[in-house]
Amino acid sequence: MIVMLALGSAAQLAQAQTTIEFWHTFGDAKRGGWIQDRADEFNKLHPDLKVVPAFKGGDNELISATILSARQGNPPAISQIFEGGSQLALDSGVFQPVSAIKNVDFSDYIKPVINFYTIGGKVNSLPFNSSSPVLYYNKTLMKKAGLNPLRPPTTFGALLSDCKKIQAANIGASCFGMSINGWFIENWLAEQGQTILNNDNGRSGRATTSNLESAAAKTIFNFFKTLQDNKYYSYTGKLEDYDGSDAIFNNQKVVFHITSTSKIGNNSDAAKRAGFSLGVARLPIPDNTKRNGVVLGGASLWIAKNLSKEKAEGALDFALYMTNTKNMASWHQLTGYYPVRQSSINLLKEQGWFAKAPLQLVAFNQQTDTVASPATAGALNGAGPETRKITEQALQKVLNGTPVNDALSEAKARADAALADYNANFK
Amino acid sequence: MSLISRRPRPPAAAAEPQERATFKSPVLPWLFLLPTFIILAVFLYYPAVRTLRLSLYRANIILGNETFEGLGQFAELLSSPVYHQVILQTLIYCALVVMLGLLLAMGLAWLASRPIAGAKFYRLMLIYPYALSPAIAGTIWLFLFNPEIGVINNVLSSLIGVRPRWLDNPLLAFGLVVLAAIWKGLGYNVVFYLAAIQNIPGEVSEAAAIDGATGWQAYWKVIFPLLSPMTFFLVFTNLIYALFDSFGLVDILTRGGPVYGQTGITTFLIYQLYEDGFRNFKTGVAAAEAVLMLIMVGVITVMQFRYGNRRVHYGA
Repeated sequence: MIVMLALGSAAQLAQAQTTIEFWHTFGDAKRGGWIQDRADEFNKLHPDLKVVPAFKGGDNELISATILSARQGNPPAISQIFEGGSQLALDSGVFQPVSAIKNVDFSDYIKPVINFYTIGGKVNSLPFNSSSPVLYYNKTLMKKAGLNPLRPPTTFGALLSDCKKIQAANIGASCFGMSINGWFIENWLAEQGQTILNNDNGRSGRATTSNLESAAAKTIFNFFKTLQDNKYYSYTGKLEDYDGSDAIFNNQKVVFHITSTSKIGNNSDAAKRAGFSLGVARLPIPDNTKRNGVVLGGASLWIAKNLSKEKAEGALDFALYMTNTKNMASWHQLTGYYPVRQSSINLLKEQGWFAKAPLQLVAFNQQTDTVASPATAGALNGAGPETRKITEQALQKVLNGTPVNDALSEAKARADAALADYNANFK
Repeated sequence: MSLISRRPRPPAAAAEPQERATFKSPVLPWLFLLPTFIILAVFLYYPAVRTLRLSLYRANIILGNETFEGLGQFAELLSSPVYHQVILQTLIYCALVVMLGLLLAMGLAWLASRPIAGAKFYRLMLIYPYALSPAIAGTIWLFLFNPEIGVINNVLSSLIGVRPRWLDNPLLAFGLVVLAAIWKGLGYNVVFYLAAIQNIPGEVSEAAAIDGATGWQAYWKVIFPLLSPMTFFLVFTNLIYALFDSFGLVDILTRGGPVYGQTGITTFLIYQLYEDGFRNFKTGVAAAEAVLMLIMVGVITVMQFRYGNRRVHYGA
């Protein structure tokens, strides 16, 4: 009887509340738990709202699930959509720009990050977890090879000359290992101020061709050809094998490695266990190139269309609460993702975080020094996953002996066909 | 059929007790079948019809658009060099997995059925890979064959000084996936063969032994033919396994790579379907691929029953 009464009153309470579902991709206790904690705090502050976060699988599963539930008239109020899915999310027509819900001051958000999600002058989604690629290096092995661990390579040329010394020193490790991932290629194009797609990376109009045959792309592919020809490079052989390439680096089989800033935490722990000293530096770029900066990958929070006013505003309020100054700083400390707000960076500086975690500072500088341009704003590409794979296969072909020009012209033809195929949906 | 009809009909009375055991109302049997029909209709027939319909439309699940294309997507797939290569490598993969897998399972089941010490332990160990999920199996193989830090290459390099590139050499990667698939399916096949071997009456082997057959002869001339009904069944289930269940293993172990010719050499039909449907969101194309796979399975099944059946020996 008491139980029933309690249930009854709980149901009454639930009716008075507006439920705000939030679907995200963090299935691990660490990050998923952090989100749940923020929701609990928020719910306590707002008794009329009930934020319910739920893990909904990987990037592709989440966007599919959101779209399908929207078609059935019952979408989650907030969805975490990966940056490569931004064009798809935009074209799906099931979301509304966050800047249309109510007036928000976005000036505190770091420029390159908010740029990615600003489309046609509107802020479509709220940046949440953002990262970029950096160089990881094994200081212990560098010393062993007679290199100065205080001076990690910042250019392709410097990396190659370090590789030569490492090979000559015969320390039982290869010079360089990273997974093959289109995301890195996209960042190297951005560093050279080169857009990946035409029409300003698909931002001034729908992209129709890729720039895979540009001089900037050839520079990147030639770098890999030189690495491979000299046997400086090693990887697992599987595309996008982040874990496999981390394992190779953490087992000290390579001196240099490139992966996301969001791996700083995990790789630091692994280095400690393996007993080597880890360094993190900016992404090395082609020689004689002005550093334009990186594309900030990650994901953002999208709010569904056709919600009641209180639900939409409640959703945005929670999204803003979760990404407020204090919370973004703690999110960063927990995960290594960028705190996407200037005020969070200031807070972290005041707390002396960078003295405690000097490796993170490099990532910050790389982010804050990024020059705002269509190249660093990143591509809006409805065929993103497909063109990314085409790029990766082209690079693997080069590693397996195909001439750079052949691989790139084939890749461009394929990527352009993929773009045309996507655009045919809008005829 | 003609033989049967020429037989004199048994007197009606003799058949009565059997035939009387029918339902009085014609509705009742359908009522009992209804739950099955509902489940089949909701989970099989309806989705199949929808897939068939979708295969005629250009559709992207995210955009929610549908444009009628007729057989255009089929024509495009069947004229695409990428898809040709995918079909070819799927066929080679299936043939290898089914043939080598069954031969190996049959041999191992025969050995494990011998009255030797520890036979039970061997049997258990042989069945064990089947209990692993494809994802776990894929992860185990991935770490075993990591070229830099995998156990296999560490052993190989200390023994004979080589470090094969298992996952980016196309031939090795293809072989590795075949091997992993055979290993993964081994337990299932061994269980069935063990059961079949245990059902073979002992007298048959004894008779062969008395007639002076060697162990090898007894196996090939007596046991092998007696196992053929089981083989016939397993060829079919293994084919389905190779065609559809390869997904999990491929996704984790190679992600369809390494690239060779037009596409990744371990991109099989089901993986291509996954990529198009769930990574590139080309729902219509993926539906067309599903229909093509259905036709392929249909053709293979018909061919197997027509030609494969002749060699099956159902014993006395």
